[in-house]
Amino acid sequence: MKKISVDHLARVEGNGGITATIDGNVVTDVKFSIYEGPRLIERLTIGKTPEEDVNIVPRICAICTLSHKYAALLAMENALSLKVPPKVFLLRELMHLGEIIESHSLHVYFLALPDYLGFPSAIALASRFEFEVRIALEMKQFGNHIMKTLSGRYIHGENPVIGGFGKFPSKEDLVWIKSRAIQFMPFVFKTVTLFCELDYPNCPEDDTLYVCCNPDKNKYGFAGDEIMLSTGETINKDDYKSLTNEFVVSHAHAKHSRYKGKPYSVGALARINNLGHRLQGEAGKMYKKYFNPRWHRSPLFNNAAQALEILHAFERIPQLINELLEYPEDPPIVNYKAKEGKATGIVEAPRGLLIHSYEISRGLVARSDIITPTAQNIEDIERYCHIAAQKLLDAGQEDKIRDRMDLVVRAYDPCISCSVHMTEVQKAPKDDWKKRLEEVKKRSSPIFIGVGKTNLSDDGVGVELALELRKLGMKDVWLESEIGEKEKFWIEGTIRPLIFLDAVDFREKPGKVILLPLHFVLSNSTLSHRLAPLLSLVINYAELKDAFVLGIQPESVEPGEKISRPVRQAIRQVLDLVMNE
Amino acid sequence: MKKDKLKIGIYELTGCAGDALLILDCEKELIDIFKAADIQSFRMAKNDNRDEELDVALVEGSVSTEREIEELLDIRKRAKIVVAIGICACFGGIQAAFLDKKDWEKNFKEVYGDIKISHAKPVHSKPIDAHIKVDYYLPGCPIDKEQFLSTFNRILRGNPPELYRFSVCVECKWNENDCLLNKDIPCLGPVTRAGCGSVCINHNLPCVGCWGPVEEANLSSEFQLLLDKGFGYDFIRKKMANFSGRGIADFLGKLKGEKG
Repeated sequence: MKKISVDHLARVEGNGGITATIDGNVVTDVKFSIYEGPRLIERLTIGKTPEEDVNIVPRICAICTLSHKYAALLAMENALSLKVPPKVFLLRELMHLGEIIESHSLHVYFLALPDYLGFPSAIALASRFEFEVRIALEMKQFGNHIMKTLSGRYIHGENPVIGGFGKFPSKEDLVWIKSRAIQFMPFVFKTVTLFCELDYPNCPEDDTLYVCCNPDKNKYGFAGDEIMLSTGETINKDDYKSLTNEFVVSHAHAKHSRYKGKPYSVGALARINNLGHRLQGEAGKMYKKYFNPRWHRSPLFNNAAQALEILHAFERIPQLINELLEYPEDPPIVNYKAKEGKATGIVEAPRGLLIHSYEISRGLVARSDIITPTAQNIEDIERYCHIAAQKLLDAGQEDKIRDRMDLVVRAYDPCISCSVHMTEVQKAPKDDWKKRLEEVKKRSSPIFIGVGKTNLSDDGVGVELALELRKLGMKDVWLESEIGEKEKFWIEGTIRPLIFLDAVDFREKPGKVILLPLHFVLSNSTLSHRLAPLLSLVINYAELKDAFVLGIQPESVEPGEKISRPVRQAIRQVLDLVMNE
Repeated sequence: MKKDKLKIGIYELTGCAGDALLILDCEKELIDIFKAADIQSFRMAKNDNRDEELDVALVEGSVSTEREIEELLDIRKRAKIVVAIGICACFGGIQAAFLDKKDWEKNFKEVYGDIKISHAKPVHSKPIDAHIKVDYYLPGCPIDKEQFLSTFNRILRGNPPELYRFSVCVECKWNENDCLLNKDIPCLGPVTRAGCGSVCINHNLPCVGCWGPVEEANLSSEFQLLLDKGFGYDFIRKKMANFSGRGIADFLGKLKGEKG
């Protein structure tokens, strides 16, 4: 067993690492670990006034500070039945664009680009490309300037409040921003060309599900009341839990998310994949020029997607300011009287879908749920790193695994400070299945029974495993469909250990293996997605003390014959260990 | 790299990374900062980081896991000067608002259940001086760019930083704002450390106290003033505690006694 790890991911926001575990020629596990401590921010907001909540939650993350503020404002204003005037709405869009420019240019030029040009940092890069680095810094500074003009500070500005703004920017401020945005265009085009034409390695590549906000009026944008999936499905923001299904893992203080048991991705690449065809003007032309099916399969194209979004933002700012200048009056902060209410606010932070959901009771926050983009991306980050590591291992390029994982993680532009919270706990039991299997084998040679339906994708893993074992010459291997008639089988079962092979959903990474006593699995109905075939045998099995379930976490149990890649890898591992004398 | 350059490390513990980000936000000065000093470690900015002897370590964030305690002790061993940057490192920040360990444990359990976090065992969140000796404090949420650059400059020349030792009210007067307390708006300016340039009041909004208490703050007087203006006991208590973490623990402890 060998581990390849990046202990401290550099050039990402926050503190984290990634580790791939390799067993022979199989990458058995990849974990994206978060070293940031728990901050319990949702708990901190309980009992606070809506205004205090809006002060506190941006502190979750310095880079996404205004996105957090924006999502919280939308949720609170919804909950308190308050409508803001159009000028406030437009100014919020402007501040949001400032954050997108600031965050994206920081990421593409300073965090991501050095990898592709072979430098340890953008500062080192400046030794050869000082002019470019200085202009990129100025572009980032322009984003910062917009944030400061509207929020009061570069980071954690308090000017946007429930019902409006403390102080509005002057006409001169806005006109300056407009003219400066136009001045930047030549460099913005350079940025798009640079990042859309970078030579992105073709590993890892795999399909995934992309998720983002659906802006109304068929526009491209960073806010909307509906969640949109690349499958064409839409989810109302209030039903966000049906998307995120969060759960806790032991290697991070951030929750993981899966939709229908599958990991998904959010962020610039998700937006471009789902909404890119809506881009207008030069951004629309560039999209048509550069977008291709690889953007759907490789997370590395997130860098290119961010560059396209920078162009979109620079094109949108002059239009937006023209619209703003039609409202010379500064509306006062809208007051509210409501003391009860609940609502959800969603926006697109630079790194993707951000959800804030609150319940207000007697004028104070009674429930609070915040789901950050990085928490949703972690599952896919691990999955893509796993694919990359296995592919490189197969190609005999083990030495490249570390850097490639680093590249994948950084492409996602993770924001590790977002280790916010958790409200419901679900976890897989701790289990060392290999050790347990060795022990069982030592006692006496076990009898295997393959369980499951082969027409439900990974659910067929039990039967597949049983058939493979037979092929390899293992005796006493049965299928679910063959037992029941064989009375003698039960008698024998009392002397020799029995091992059921099945797909078991215990909310772990697909392909994870467990070996647990049968009675434990039976008494813990949350652990198996489909216990029916086993339950019909309970009466007989209740007397069996030496019976186990060897369960493999399925990736999908949708109709279909195909067994997924991680589950296939798990089959290889199990076969090796069972046949190993 | 010339030998006479100061060796500097910038480290992030638990927090929003806003102070490290603010250093990156010194866009115009950034390249010069890197030219003026030998930045040995700055994970957010570069990946050729070395953990060697340091002249100065700038540490952001509060200490929230056992791993961070170890890291911090190691930084202290290697660095001649340790500077706490930002309110989380100085006072613990928002995540240190659960002052009572039992209260923290209860809330932690409600969030994470019984799960064992494998390699970063969480601990009750505290400022860095709960674990090591700190030479200088550079407060802020986040730190202020001008203050950072001036501190950085002074340290480069071997001088201690010179920070404002008065409250936000002083800056607020410089900016000729109307006093919000006179308009019965609950403002924490009188007890909060200056350095932000009274940014919230400049925007017609009350100070939320995000820089933590100033040394000479008369907390009782502020408390009484807000009580007199008709704000509730719990409301004021909560407002003063939102950002200040350990910085306000003594006062709140005393307050408890008085009320009882």
